[in-house]
Amino acid sequence: MAQSGFEGFEKRLEMHFSCDDPVIGLGLRRLKFESLEEILDAVQCTVVSAVGNQYVDAYVLSESSLFVYPTMIIIKTCGTTQLLKSIPLLLSHAHNMGLDVCGCRYTRGNFIFPKAQPFPHTSFKEEVLYLEESLPSNLCYRKASLMPSKQTTHSWHVYSASDEHHMVHHISNDLFTMEVCMTELDRSLAGKFYGHPGNDNSGHIAGREMTMATGINDIIPSALMCDFAFDPCGYSMNGIDGVHYSTIHVTPEDGYSYASFELMACTDDRNDIDDVLRKVVQVFRPGTMSISVTSANCNMSKRIKNVIKQHGLIRRSCTIDEFPAAGGIVFQTFTRRK
Amino acid sequence: MASSTEEGQVISCHTLEAWNEQLQKGNDSKKLIVIDFTASWCGPCRVISPVLAELAKKQTNVVFLKVDVDELKTVAADWDVEAMPTFIFLKEGKIVDKVVGAKKDDLQSAITKHSA
Repeated sequence: MAQSGFEGFEKRLEMHFSCDDPVIGLGLRRLKFESLEEILDAVQCTVVSAVGNQYVDAYVLSESSLFVYPTMIIIKTCGTTQLLKSIPLLLSHAHNMGLDVCGCRYTRGNFIFPKAQPFPHTSFKEEVLYLEESLPSNLCYRKASLMPSKQTTHSWHVYSASDEHHMVHHISNDLFTMEVCMTELDRSLAGKFYGHPGNDNSGHIAGREMTMATGINDIIPSALMCDFAFDPCGYSMNGIDGVHYSTIHVTPEDGYSYASFELMACTDDRNDIDDVLRKVVQVFRPGTMSISVTSANCNMSKRIKNVIKQHGLIRRSCTIDEFPAAGGIVFQTFTRRK
Repeated sequence: MASSTEEGQVISCHTLEAWNEQLQKGNDSKKLIVIDFTASWCGPCRVISPVLAELAKKQTNVVFLKVDVDELKTVAADWDVEAMPTFIFLKEGKIVDKVVGAKKDDLQSAITKHSA
């Protein structure tokens, strides 16, 4: 394990807003780009690529991704970004548009290099304190929890807060969010995320080449993608598919290799989820993998375990917990069969 | 309209008549036409608009047109625009390329490829 290096593990913030006006229309999507830039500035990242469809605007950032729905915003950032510092600005810009926060969920795995993290990400305790102080008092139901895994280096930190009207995942009972974290990536597969010296190798064109060369384009073929290759290595992708999104981020360096896959989709896409997970494992062949699923009910865990088992990884832990605004979270970890 | 005032600019088409006129003009000139399908409320479109303006200033041998999908709904539907920004590349009336998303490198590369 390297002494220091780029932190692939992301911090993820999801905030839900509500409005007195029954006609929300575009809601948060009306946020001026200058305001978004101001928020991203506080987090120390910039927009690298973007696309929008009928339901959502998706931005690839210099350090991960941003998704803007009319009443929900998701920011996911890696490295040493101070993600939580976006909260005060987000709240004030949304408030100016007549939108007030009604739910918030913050999640992250275990940092590979925890000592390199700046305030307030120096510890989960500090993050929780910052969240407690930044969120308004109408979010009266709050819970913070560390979902452990005894046998692997992966664990899952969750902070969730909700007001009294939005206790369960407010979008729909059918939607789920899956956050997959992978470490110890297969070396030769990770090698595909390095640019080739001599060509013009970073950017959107190189990103597209990586998407095709690694088979990522096949994971969700119907998704409209924005992909980007970083110099000298690294890759990010956002995919939007109707109201659903997916996102992949890769830190390929040996010693601290990491890849994440996140998907928001419908629970009745049965076969599709199995297929998606199979392809994700094939693209990265990680040594260790953790999967966190947030949904209104917790019935996907056994299916996930069985799919992953077919690809050389054994489940080491399974933790289930309930959170305000999020519903149920099932956290499972897997390691490669020796 | 004197062509010199339009050179180096992205020309916004606000009516069906203006759209048809600009399209015809562009096709007749045999230049590459880049059509930017955009919307006033589209965040991702705002990411790319300064880049597009720069490209228009530099590449005066290319015609840049802008269509607001709310103003010209039928045009957006005719050209199958489902996500934004969408850039369609036309040469002599035929679609030669398409870039979906605020992707600076893809835009530059497609312009270079088709304006040669």
